[in-house]
Amino acid sequence: MLWLCIRLPQLAREAFADQHAALERLAGWAYQWSSLISYASDEPLLWLELGASCALFDGHAALLARIEAGLVQLGYSHICALAPSATAAALLTRAPAPRHVLDRMQLRQRLAPLPLQLLALPAETLAALHASGLRRIGQVLELAASAIARRFGPETQSYLQRLCAQASDPRPAWCLPASYLARCEFGSEVRTTTALLFPLQRLLLEFQGYLRARDCSVLRFTLLFEHYRHPISPVSIGLSAAGRDAAQFLTLVRERLHSLVLPAPVSALRLQAHEFTSPSIVQGDLFGSAAQPLQQLQQLLDRLRARLGENSVRALQLHADYRPERGCRLVSPDSSAHPGTPAQPDAARPEAARPCWLLPEPLRIDAPSGLVRGPERIESGWWNQDDVRRDYYLAHTAEGTRLWVFRDRRAGEWYLQGLWA
Amino acid sequence: MNLDQLSRLCHDGEWRRPAHAAAPSGYAELDANLPGGGWPVGAIAELMPEATGIGELSLLAPVLSRLARAGRYIAWIAPPYLPYAPALAQWQLPLKRLLIIHTRGAQESLWAAEQTLRCPAFGAVLSWPAEIADKNVRRLQLAAEAGGSLGILYRPATAAREHSPAALRLRLRPVADGLAVEIHKCRGGRAGLRLQLSLHALSDTSPADVVAVHPAAATRA
Repeated sequence: MLWLCIRLPQLAREAFADQHAALERLAGWAYQWSSLISYASDEPLLWLELGASCALFDGHAALLARIEAGLVQLGYSHICALAPSATAAALLTRAPAPRHVLDRMQLRQRLAPLPLQLLALPAETLAALHASGLRRIGQVLELAASAIARRFGPETQSYLQRLCAQASDPRPAWCLPASYLARCEFGSEVRTTTALLFPLQRLLLEFQGYLRARDCSVLRFTLLFEHYRHPISPVSIGLSAAGRDAAQFLTLVRERLHSLVLPAPVSALRLQAHEFTSPSIVQGDLFGSAAQPLQQLQQLLDRLRARLGENSVRALQLHADYRPERGCRLVSPDSSAHPGTPAQPDAARPEAARPCWLLPEPLRIDAPSGLVRGPERIESGWWNQDDVRRDYYLAHTAEGTRLWVFRDRRAGEWYLQGLWA
Repeated sequence: MNLDQLSRLCHDGEWRRPAHAAAPSGYAELDANLPGGGWPVGAIAELMPEATGIGELSLLAPVLSRLARAGRYIAWIAPPYLPYAPALAQWQLPLKRLLIIHTRGAQESLWAAEQTLRCPAFGAVLSWPAEIADKNVRRLQLAAEAGGSLGILYRPATAAREHSPAALRLRLRPVADGLAVEIHKCRGGRAGLRLQLSLHALSDTSPADVVAVHPAAATRA
């Protein structure tokens, strides 16, 4: 076994509950590198067992570099130590460099010159060791195990055995929760949405780590902004294709924040996701070139919807109806772009020429003078309440505008319905 | 470079070769007078029609349908009226490649135009700004370059008096059965040219069941 212990000094300053929450989130993030994760209850320490995943990530050095880069991206200062035992790794995070030890022999050599005070033993035990004239860890390790157990208690002996990876070192393994919930509390209230972007980025990166660990994606997640003495404002972020890319999430969130008006300053931020889907396979291709155009399009549509509103992007659809105003429909692009939609019926495509602009409502006009072409008679809808009996013409105005006008055959009134743009 | 080479270069007009690719407009007379032989791809073209409804959209029918059939999307940013699907289908435009984007104001339209122009999935982006500042046209120009798409700005005829960084600016006037096009500005080409185009989209699809009538006949019916 090879244990990586990460000490996060900046968490030591935080309240116990915050430290615990941060470690919980980090554990979820770290699960993408290792399946055996543990964190300390009283110290800002996180352990990852790397022995099993080294080969997968091109050796421990490459893996460690990736983890450290991830921590920097999350904005955590950190001290990493590698050792064959979790106890020794934790000890090395408090010792000066070098902190990377790969086997037991090296471990003993590395521990030998370190001062006694680094041992995580009760103060009275340390005092007793000190009183016996011992100053370095190496000197303690040279003593016979039975002598230590007799003079300093069996706990001390078992600690030293765990330290040297000579005894099993069980730790409560962290379990991946079934739904994701992360919370980040701010020391002082945040008033501007731009100031929220930094903590958001960290939340989203941790979320991405969690999704990678579970090997799943999301179609929707929710951000909850907590306010002091004010109900929570939820913001739901939807994607048109399942994703798990933090950068993509952040772009969407940024667009949403752009138009978001928060009722009060924000005291804490939560991110939650309950439903997960299998990942879409289109990810960085073999040569690492840019994403597929389709993927880019979907990301763009998500961005447009996030900023302009859920119904801002529409597709056109033909509809089989002789009444011109019903021949065209605006639909959600997802419904028309899917290959599963049945082909458009040819009956919906009128033989006669049609103008490319349609007015939202036929506009009542005076009888036009320059009728050029027509009439095209349209009688339809007598079977329901929307009976239509019209004669359509192409009319030219003096300015050269080409109008699509009709005369209502029942009332004899003229209407403008379209423009030949 | 010696004098000989230089003079050849000038004569062949190589120095005027456009920086961008071109998409054939579908009108031979127009293509012959545009650098590269068509609409500037990866750039902004401004169309300034004298009035609405004179064929300013039909002018684009061939290029839009070609782009869409090649699998690229066409974005319509806040169009002034509803693009009528039956007419567009008659242009042989695959409707599933068209996206209408509704916005709430000029700012959002500009943003949406920039975003869509930047995305390589889009072949053309059409927008109708009431007025637009120089620097914003330049922004769109850069976005179009990045995305390799054709940006069309419909602007009022009065905009011809203003300067604009667009690569191509055309004034459009109606003539019988067609459109008079004046090349107002053309990067890498000659400006000031006037052409008359007969618009296929207007004339080709003459309906079978329609006969020419006089207004008097209409009132009789």
